[in-house]
Amino acid sequence: MQTTIQTSEPSNQVTARLLGFWRTFRKNRGGIVGLWMLVFIILVAIFAPLIAPYDESSSAQTSISDIYQPPSANHWFGTDDAGQDVFSNFIYGARVSLTVGFFAAFISIVIGGLFGLVAGFFGGRWETFLMRFTDIMLVIPDLPLMVVIVALTKPSLLNIIFVIGLLGWTTTARVVRSQTLAVKSRKFVLRARAIGAGKGHIVSRHILPLVMPILVVQAVLVISLAILNESALSFIGLGDPTTLSWGQMLNYAFGRGAMSTGAWWALVVPGFGIVWVVLSLTLLGQGLEQVLNPRLDTHHLMPAKPTVRKEAGEQPAGKGSLLDVQNLSIDYVTEGKARAHAVENVSFTLKEGELLGLVGESGCGKTTLMLALLKLLPAAGQIVNGRVYFKGQDLTELGEDELNKVRWSGVSIVFQGAMNALNPVRTVGDQIEEAIIKHLPDFPKANLSARVTELLDLVGIAADHKDHFPHQYSGGMRQRAMIAMALACNPQVIIADEPTTALDVMIQAQILELLDSLRKKLGLAIVFVTHDLGVVAEMCDKVLVMYGGVTAEYAGVDVIYNDPRHPYTQELLKAFPDLTKPKKKLSSIPGYPPRLDALPSGCRFAPRCPAAFDRCKTEQPALHRVGANGHIASCHLIEASK
Amino acid sequence: MDTPPMNRSRALLQKIAWSIFTILFVIILNFFLFRVLPGDPARAGIRDPRLKKEAVEILRIRFGLDKPVINCFESLNPIKVGSCDVNPLDTQFFIYIRNLLQGELGFSYHTNRPVTEILSERLWNTVLLIGAGQILAILIGVALGVFAAWKARTSLDYAAVMVSLLAWSLPTFWLGIILLFWGSANGFPLAGKATPGMSSMPLLQQWGDILWHMFLPTLTYTIVYMGEYTLIMRSSLMDVLSEDYILTAKAKGLSMFQILKDHALKNAMLPLVTVIAINLGFTVAGAIQIEAVFSWPGLGSAIVEAVGRRDFPMLQGAFLLIAVAVILANMLADLTYTYLDPRVKME
Repeated sequence: MQTTIQTSEPSNQVTARLLGFWRTFRKNRGGIVGLWMLVFIILVAIFAPLIAPYDESSSAQTSISDIYQPPSANHWFGTDDAGQDVFSNFIYGARVSLTVGFFAAFISIVIGGLFGLVAGFFGGRWETFLMRFTDIMLVIPDLPLMVVIVALTKPSLLNIIFVIGLLGWTTTARVVRSQTLAVKSRKFVLRARAIGAGKGHIVSRHILPLVMPILVVQAVLVISLAILNESALSFIGLGDPTTLSWGQMLNYAFGRGAMSTGAWWALVVPGFGIVWVVLSLTLLGQGLEQVLNPRLDTHHLMPAKPTVRKEAGEQPAGKGSLLDVQNLSIDYVTEGKARAHAVENVSFTLKEGELLGLVGESGCGKTTLMLALLKLLPAAGQIVNGRVYFKGQDLTELGEDELNKVRWSGVSIVFQGAMNALNPVRTVGDQIEEAIIKHLPDFPKANLSARVTELLDLVGIAADHKDHFPHQYSGGMRQRAMIAMALACNPQVIIADEPTTALDVMIQAQILELLDSLRKKLGLAIVFVTHDLGVVAEMCDKVLVMYGGVTAEYAGVDVIYNDPRHPYTQELLKAFPDLTKPKKKLSSIPGYPPRLDALPSGCRFAPRCPAAFDRCKTEQPALHRVGANGHIASCHLIEASK
Repeated sequence: MDTPPMNRSRALLQKIAWSIFTILFVIILNFFLFRVLPGDPARAGIRDPRLKKEAVEILRIRFGLDKPVINCFESLNPIKVGSCDVNPLDTQFFIYIRNLLQGELGFSYHTNRPVTEILSERLWNTVLLIGAGQILAILIGVALGVFAAWKARTSLDYAAVMVSLLAWSLPTFWLGIILLFWGSANGFPLAGKATPGMSSMPLLQQWGDILWHMFLPTLTYTIVYMGEYTLIMRSSLMDVLSEDYILTAKAKGLSMFQILKDHALKNAMLPLVTVIAINLGFTVAGAIQIEAVFSWPGLGSAIVEAVGRRDFPMLQGAFLLIAVAVILANMLADLTYTYLDPRVKME
């Protein structure tokens, strides 16, 4: 494989990129199988004279008795209508079919690539003209047009190559254009243009290298289509009569009595060649596509990983608490990668009407924790320890059907960034009604519409927006509609996962006020996930500070603000402005939270902690009780001060 | 906030206008292809060596090939292509357009019957074959695709994908040949649309006979196109199922089935509509091959026969009809998409 990699420019960068590409591609089983299948048939075509037992035109010596001989030691795959060896013709046929495929695809790729590049790069009139032309050619059915042109001209191999090539560029032009457009607006291209680089330079140095991979994938597909088209043309009787492609072999066999003589070999073998090549190209194309646009290949309906527990015999649910989370740990398990400990040993409780603030930087496991409460983790997520009691019932033990009864009617979620959290092709009112119908089957149908209007009114959305689609809502409206939907089945607990990020300050304030008033009015318990310590101070009863998947500190809101014991909490507070101390100096915490698949061996905050000492780097601190009232923090300093 | 109805009707009008333009392009292309490409169509078509020069001339007049191809439109045409000293109304191009408007496509060289008449008999056979095949391929493809996405990353999913890739890689005509070979040993009809003499039988029996004849061609068609629909449905559904709103639906306590039915399928079907539209061209390619193998009396076999007989008026007429049908069907699919997706707001 070394040769394919090093044929390109001598530049180290290019080689490195190709090597990286190869390393990823190598893991794609289908792609590799396709590549070897293709290499094999190409070798067969190149070395045809060495492999084929008979000459290309061995029919000169044949007699009537040689026609349609079944497979034998002399003729492995029998003989055809002219008494020729099917196996030898099959080997030589590979040459014709591959030649047509490669040359025709080359023409298509050059034209399509050029059109796409010009249209995408220059835009304006060029783009309009070229793309309109492409659209027209795209709708005109290929094969009939090829048939017409080849029928009107001489059916020679050259003509066939040109006709297939000249009609096969449309999809390539489209794909290359959109890729060029995407690349053109990238920063380094804009920068190159800003410093006055020539157009030729930009295209050849910046755009072409990024369009090239797509062009290669496209080429693989175009080759397979060209081979299929050639075989169809030959079968219809428009092949070059002087060469014997696989399609031509089938044309002769089918047209000259192979069917009635039962000579299956003459019909099966050539078609097998076409399938081999097309399948190899398809697999190869899919493999390359996978490398270029990796897909995660997971979705929300994949079965959840079974809950496991390290330690048995946990405490029963705490009395009087609505939600009691005990020692919850969650891993992400991906094939071929180390387990990522996303959440470890997190506990908290929530009483009726209480508001818990969950704070921490992005990537600290907050969302994972929230999703795990209702077992909504992505397919890779697994609860590896702990329990989630809701009204005394352990949710981690429940199956999907039982969970579906608790979801939304007991605990509902206001998702982060409600932009995509609502189904774009159903009206907002419809989606709210759906929740009511699901969980309150006795709810009178006649009152549904009124109830939805009431819910929307509660969050300040006018009734006439009920039948609108999400895209007709503004960002703030969508977020509020989401809250209305979360309230639809009168849940006892609402989890609000950063409901105000990406919204402007005025709307943020409105939404927060709304949640707070609902809590007071309806006695809701709320878990509020946020970055905003100001909001926490204003609204929350309790605060859980998470860092790197573990509890840093957990206490009542006053304790957190007045007596923070974990250095992370202290640093977070320093990073927030305080209206009562206007002269306070703001500072930020240098560095980033740890990656979950590369956690430090000691305390997870140690690399960024201003107070870290030797022990912090080697030993993970346990959760320590600080005084009464359930104040908890995980820091070696607390033990030291005891 | 915008008002979608107005946008939508504008988008619809735009698409219709664009399709009409494409049809005009095809009409003009169709004319010039048959005039500009090498070979006097009359000589190529009427190439019986026994015909005397005079007889050929008479035939040329009969098929209108004696007239100049096109008027040069002197004022518009500085390079003076075409004949300038003729009445523009007496050129082949004008007569072609005039005949088209009257639904005339000339006479078949082979049978001497009007091409329109032959094609209109055959059009419905092709529509029947493609219709049945497409519906089956879409139903099976969608079902298999949904199944594969639902069982994503299991061996069942893997098998469904492999079968689809293999089906996609089969040359249509070859699969037809193989099935015909198998069918001939198992008592299936080998060719055509009906058993001779069937027309005297009761209607129900006639239809049964046609269905019996349709079985193998339709099966071929279904297998070849099913694979692609499976792959597209799978990846489209995988995309939809990883959207945030599916997580919302799950959090709402909806069952797997309810989520698929009420939240995922419609959204996942939208890309499929586009693909079906784009595929119509390929669909015709498949029909040509299948009709050739099974001697199904449709437009595809009309094309193949016309090629074999150098029957250019037939070829020209069949090509035009197929192209226009594909463009119109494509437009319909486009319009359906516009109608289905509330988000469509055309530029």
